[in-house]
Amino acid sequence: METIPKTETPPNPPPPERLAYSIQEAADMLGVNYFSVYRLIQRGKLKPCRALRGKLLVPRTELLKLLATE
Amino acid sequence: MNNPFEHRRPTELEDKAHAEAVRHFAGHLKQFPASREAVERLERDADKIALAANRAASKPTPKENIIQADDGRQWHKSLDLMENIRFCHRPISYGAEYAVVEHFPAHGANEILNRGWNATEVLKAFTQGLRQTLQVWTEDVSAQVREFLSEQFPGHDLSRVADAFIHKCTTQAVSQKHELTHNHEQKHSHGVRI
Repeated sequence: METIPKTETPPNPPPPERLAYSIQEAADMLGVNYFSVYRLIQRGKLKPCRALRGKLLVPRTELLKLLATE
Repeated sequence: MNNPFEHRRPTELEDKAHAEAVRHFAGHLKQFPASREAVERLERDADKIALAANRAASKPTPKENIIQADDGRQWHKSLDLMENIRFCHRPISYGAEYAVVEHFPAHGANEILNRGWNATEVLKAFTQGLRQTLQVWTEDVSAQVREFLSEQFPGHDLSRVADAFIHKCTTQAVSQKHELTHNHEQKHSHGVRI
């Protein structure tokens, strides 16, 4: 009986890069507490955007910009 | 904001939703009270801090307490306000200028946050900024909790749960254990200091 050769399944493509992060995620990535992230926002050093229900999101580009100036 | 559960006991569903919100947002519940108390402490001690800064400005400053800030000038450290945030003064011909200066250990920079001729006013401007930060934080947590509840319990009105959570977050005292943990984390933080 002939066996059907197994076709190799291509590896899963990497997940698309996130465009924005919650305050908690941003704080974790920067290694600071939440207050520090909110202070950066209040001082205009990080410009957040708002999700549909009003929660703040920090764009990845803003984090990169901050780290570049750091 | 009052605790809505004080007026009418929570239903079983509200109890469950509140417990899940408390578990999910434990980080905010731990960190917000500690930050709020730090701000309140500064507001409470503002007069003492201003007086200490005035006294420091009338004395010579040891060389090791002189820093260069991002305005290119030399500032004399008076006292610490928060981690890496100092109250400083700069002698001028007719007295002193005061500033709140944040130090960034990662690259050694010193950024001026507030400055002026009156120590009390400079401190007041700084604490007002911190108050605004707490307000931004409160509004964001409120939005996050409402989103979480609507996703976890679709079709239910759990606005009382969200209000009760915000009340808890913004009014509960820092437990000694949390305060110690917070201080420990601050001393040993190794990330980017902002």
